[in-house]
Amino acid sequence: MEQVLAFALLGLGPGALYSGIALGVVLNYRGCGVINVAMGAIAALGAYVAYGLRTGGYLFLPPLPLVPAHVNFGGPVGVVPALVIAVLVCALTGLLLDVLVLRALRNASPLAKLMATLGLMLSIQAIILLRFGSSGQSAPDVLPNGPGDVVHLLGVTIPSDEFELAGIVAVAAFALVAIYRWTRFGLATRAASENETTAVLVGLPPARLSAMNTVLAASLAGALGVLVAPLTQLDSTTIPLAVVPALGAALLARFTSFGIAMVAGLGLGVIESLVTYLQSRPWFPTTHGAQLPGVADLLFFAIIVAAMYWRGGALPYRGSLVERRLPAVPKPVRLQRPAIVCAVLCITAFLLFTYDFRQAAINSLIGMLVCLSLVVITGFVGQISLLQVALGGVAAFAVSKLSMSAGIGFPLGPIFGVVIASLVGVAAAASALRVRGVNLAVVTLAGAVALQSFVFDNPTWGGGFTGSPVNPPHLFGVDLSTQASFPTGGGQLPSPVFGLVCTVAVIMAGLLVASVRRGRLGQQMLAVRSNESAAAAAGISVRNVKLLAFGLASALAGVAGSLYAYNFGSVTADRFGVVNALVFVSFAYVGGITSVTGAVLAGLGVTEGVFGHILEKWVGVPASYQLYVAGLLLMATLITLPEGIAGGRRPPPPIRAISRLIVGPGRARRTSAAVGATQGGATS
Amino acid sequence: MTAVLETRALSVSYGGVRALADVDVEVGEGQLVGLIGPNGAGKTTWIDAVCGFVPATGETRLDGRTISGMPPTARARAGLGRTWQAAELFDDLTVRENLSVAADRRPMWRLVGEALTGRESDPPNVESTLELLGIGELADVAADELTQGQRKLVGVARALAPGPRVVCLDEPAAGLDSAESRALGQRLRQVVDSGVAMLLVDHDMGLVLGVCDRVVVLEFGRVIAAGPPEVVRRDPKVTEAYLGRAAQESQAILDASAIGTGT
Ligand SMILES: Nc1ncnc2c1ncn2[C@@H]1O[C@H](COP(=O)(O)OP(=O)(O)OP(=O)(O)O)[C@@H](O)[C@H]1O
Ligand SMILES: [Mg+2]
Repeated sequence: MEQVLAFALLGLGPGALYSGIALGVVLNYRGCGVINVAMGAIAALGAYVAYGLRTGGYLFLPPLPLVPAHVNFGGPVGVVPALVIAVLVCALTGLLLDVLVLRALRNASPLAKLMATLGLMLSIQAIILLRFGSSGQSAPDVLPNGPGDVVHLLGVTIPSDEFELAGIVAVAAFALVAIYRWTRFGLATRAASENETTAVLVGLPPARLSAMNTVLAASLAGALGVLVAPLTQLDSTTIPLAVVPALGAALLARFTSFGIAMVAGLGLGVIESLVTYLQSRPWFPTTHGAQLPGVADLLFFAIIVAAMYWRGGALPYRGSLVERRLPAVPKPVRLQRPAIVCAVLCITAFLLFTYDFRQAAINSLIGMLVCLSLVVITGFVGQISLLQVALGGVAAFAVSKLSMSAGIGFPLGPIFGVVIASLVGVAAAASALRVRGVNLAVVTLAGAVALQSFVFDNPTWGGGFTGSPVNPPHLFGVDLSTQASFPTGGGQLPSPVFGLVCTVAVIMAGLLVASVRRGRLGQQMLAVRSNESAAAAAGISVRNVKLLAFGLASALAGVAGSLYAYNFGSVTADRFGVVNALVFVSFAYVGGITSVTGAVLAGLGVTEGVFGHILEKWVGVPASYQLYVAGLLLMATLITLPEGIAGGRRPPPPIRAISRLIVGPGRARRTSAAVGATQGGATS
Repeated sequence: MTAVLETRALSVSYGGVRALADVDVEVGEGQLVGLIGPNGAGKTTWIDAVCGFVPATGETRLDGRTISGMPPTARARAGLGRTWQAAELFDDLTVRENLSVAADRRPMWRLVGEALTGRESDPPNVESTLELLGIGELADVAADELTQGQRKLVGVARALAPGPRVVCLDEPAAGLDSAESRALGQRLRQVVDSGVAMLLVDHDMGLVLGVCDRVVVLEFGRVIAAGPPEVVRRDPKVTEAYLGRAAQESQAILDASAIGTGT
């Protein structure tokens, strides 16, 4: 019994990190309606700034032209100045984020804002990797942690910093409640989240309120990052991804209540620690004699789903700000011509390209499939799902396991894989039918984490740490694999044959998605996206439309996952992890989340894809800088084109010119003259 | 005459607030029934309850069959149509698509088949409904480019396109001027005469008292009067409750509105 108590209390430290980040997320949401997924990365930024100052006496700077890598302070800096500088750096980051990025996106869809903060998260992670490398560091103590700094409680001995950290977040939460209740700033923010003009009347412009909230949020997260870093591993993913449980805690608090967010964050930390305790018991299930991975993540996901179900998923709609629509959904004019043109382009490319470009093109084609899946579920139906990449992983591991242990190869293996991915997707959708918008994003993010760590990292069901092999695909004795022999291509991997297989899959998927958009099914999806109540009143079954869309989207993701499996000959968990999931959604959004064209552009841009390869080979951007550049580009694109490159009603001229070449002339357009002619005609 | 749509003791509470209390309303075959009352009287709540959007106690019957407890989609498919006070069009679709997506009641597997084969077919009724409401020219305009008045008309057309047994219209004339409103009244009458029962909620007294066969008056969630327009118009309870002014003054306004519609 003492041990249970000891483990529970040892969870307070990590819980304080979740709490602090969750408080930052809630603050940022109330301040300007953004779900800031970079809050964990900002905490990590604070932790690393303090680390650099205290161990090396330097402040690291982001890689920029003419800017040095470090500013030297000539010797290690003390605890307090390091903490202050770290918080100031985080505050400045928050200010820049608000003024340069969020302000420009004030009227954009919530998804666009979320994607922009994702750009910041990726940039910060990339900076950490560039400055400190990929191996972890251990941060020096901040709070006193000597042998005497312990608390004896009911027969157990616990380091006192666990309690101090919990106390700090509790004080922070109460301070925030007080600020929001009694200061002019807090009252104005509360008013602004209901109605912007009210805030103007109070005398504080919404833009300044938003900046103040973002700065406060970033400072808080940064401070917690510095304080908690000694208790966890310091690297580019651990603290940034602590945002996932923190988002869960913020969701439980409906992105509104500081108290609930604080308690929920601590609670999740305690639960995680208790799971560690349970796993040390002999009766707890193991896999191959090793600990079952990801039990805590699975539990987090279950808690979030249960809470959403219990609360009915009611949303805190932020006045005018949150209810922004996703970009318009263009209706494809033709199907045949673009399909044939794209097929010819792809075939020519695979016959002519050298092996490295063939590999990049294959990566892009598979990326297009993932993005098509997102076009269906997010673009057409408006459901923000971060689960699609993980569903691809489900199919990939199914293909691998079926091929290795049951001898089921091509095409039956991928077919089963796609079916399993669809079933998992539909089951997830059925349990989250009443969860919408950004809330769904948070729930599916937790689901993706659970799938990754509980299933994919499991050596029996998934790949463990080594990956899970796949037999190459054959059909009627013909080798379709990446090693297939072919007259062109110089015998180097990957074979053009596999490229052609991917081409066929992408063209068929693109045709299917475009055809859905043109038909009644697509109209039903758009009706559900516009207005669920009105759709129900018009006799459309909102539930069936959503389930069908999730099924279709998951199947497309499953096809992508199966091709990944054959592409690399082995399936590893990290390829289907949450960071990749977020990266894919951001590329899909930047390309244009509402059309096949957008998915094609997004696929060309994905990591290790065609654009990336051109950047690396011809422009000379080294691969290690690509994540950094991608993060910055993501923010820059969103600021200039908040609806994505091909997402708006009028894409930029070069895109229009290219799509006219591929699709052909004669795009049906509504002129405003046509509208003018019918004004008032209603009653004539 | 049998009632196409009727509610018996329909009650709705929002938290502690009783928004509807034991309301009985009946819409007969071929009838146009007006539902009026001051702001916050519960008119929209009645439509929401009948269409399954808020939990309610009491009974709702469509063609004699009870539909209480059915989800909104099932009620719509059973022949109950509605419009919304704020139009609530499908903004991503054109006007014609707004109608055809509502009118197409084929099962989902047929639609999937259509998507796979790439064949498209438009349900009947769509063009004729557009013509009936005089918005044929708007067919290919995107819904989010319409004026407020046009949006209301498209909302009515969308409710009528599937060929319902009965429709409930929530303030279709808001946003129209008085001439447009009168024209709408005539069109609604035509629809009713073609065999669709209708319940009309509106604040335009001229419209409601002018075209309806029967009028039901709500106040604070209760029926305070019901009957033919001329009887309701003379009811002192209505004049007092509805306008909340001195009875005589409101009588003058009601009379003026009656003259305005030429009845
Ligand atoms: N979702 C809701 N939650 C709580 N109370 C509500 C809700 N919707 C309506 N009400 C309350 O129920 C009562 C009836 O509202 P309802 O919208 O039905 O009135 P109405 O007759 O349609 O008014 P109006 O003419 O202004 O449209 C009002 O007091 C309103 O404040
Ligand atoms: Mg109303």
